[in-house]
Amino acid sequence: MKITTMLFVSEFEELWFDALQSLMGLRKAGLNHVVFLHVIQREKVAMKRGAGFLKQEERKLREIADIRFIDWAETLFEEGMEVGAHIAIGNVVPKILSVAEIEKVDLIVTARTKRGKLEELFLGSESSDLLRRTVRPVLIYNYQSQSGKVGENPFERLLLALDWSVSSERLLEYTLALKGAVKRVEIMHVLSEKSIGKLSKMEAHKVERENKRRLDEVCDVFVKERFDARPHLYIGNTAEQIEKGASEHRATMIVLGTRGTSIWKEKWSGSVSHALAESSRLPVLVVPGEVK
Amino acid sequence: MAKKVLNVEDDPDIRTFVTTVLEESGYIPIMAKDGEEGSRMVKEEKPDLIILDILMPRESGIKMYHELKRNPSLKDIPVVMLSAVSKRTFLRSQVALTEFGDETVPEPEAYLEKPVEAEDLAEIVKKILG
Repeated sequence: MKITTMLFVSEFEELWFDALQSLMGLRKAGLNHVVFLHVIQREKVAMKRGAGFLKQEERKLREIADIRFIDWAETLFEEGMEVGAHIAIGNVVPKILSVAEIEKVDLIVTARTKRGKLEELFLGSESSDLLRRTVRPVLIYNYQSQSGKVGENPFERLLLALDWSVSSERLLEYTLALKGAVKRVEIMHVLSEKSIGKLSKMEAHKVERENKRRLDEVCDVFVKERFDARPHLYIGNTAEQIEKGASEHRATMIVLGTRGTSIWKEKWSGSVSHALAESSRLPVLVVPGEVK
Repeated sequence: MAKKVLNVEDDPDIRTFVTTVLEESGYIPIMAKDGEEGSRMVKEEKPDLIILDILMPRESGIKMYHELKRNPSLKDIPVVMLSAVSKRTFLRSQVALTEFGDETVPEPEAYLEKPVEAEDLAEIVKKILG
């Protein structure tokens, strides 16, 4: 599972060229093809009473996107990269899915995007929608640090959160393929406070020991592949603890899997990957565990 | 018999423009909308000339050009680059590909930066194909 082709989705307001450049560390892991996608929101050029379809506006927006993409592409072409570009009109998520399929990308990079309040309530954000519907890894790229500076290499120190589900296997495989781009991996599992609270002290220790053993096993796999890796066992609310662990170990990115829950289940029971993708201060790489 | 010219271009407006110029100049235009389709059509149609854009979906003109010029049976087909990407970038990209172990490839017969006038395009094509 190599990352050779990356889809970089930009609305130009959130993701700029410096964000793209900060991802070029992935070349050490095999990245050689970047595909740009800009989606012109339908409502910007849609039929307006008395004005019809805003063809002139569409042409202008396409031209703006084209000029930016050519500027970005020139830099990458000169470095020997392969570059492609798509400019489309419509809804963002279906367009991302369609271009990702056409170009057979190994990674989708997009910024955290918000919908209107009512749409958010019923549909969630566009990021969540994308995570629910894609089978491909997605990097929700919040690339500016709290100081406002761009993280130079977000793949430098990963916090890999494992829940021991089937999706964890694909997640491991994917993370191992990042070899070359990654300097250190903090491998983490979070025990639920609720489940431990019901157990006797002896049973709780057993659970703790078993999880530490599993973490050590994963750690050994990474060390064997010449990664610098450390195991960490946390307890508490999963999303909160992952965020805390990332902060304590100065991670530059959170990497986790997703089990593919339905929109209603996710709305009411919550999904850790979606929650972090929505709110983490760090870039979040989500690797889907199953074919949807 | 009229000569065939393959235009590889993702922008439908430019495809229409090139088609018109070629037809009015007495050539047979063939169209491909990306590098992947273009590569396939070169092998199938064996055109007399290729007019090639660079930034396109699926496969760029830079990759297509490089592969074309490394293919012994296709390398002699003349190519006119027609792109908004600068010639300097194009030449540098070909050098960069060479650095990755690929063979050096010759420069294209002509390099036109968009936008191009119909007369200029027609003149270049005529100069190459006669």
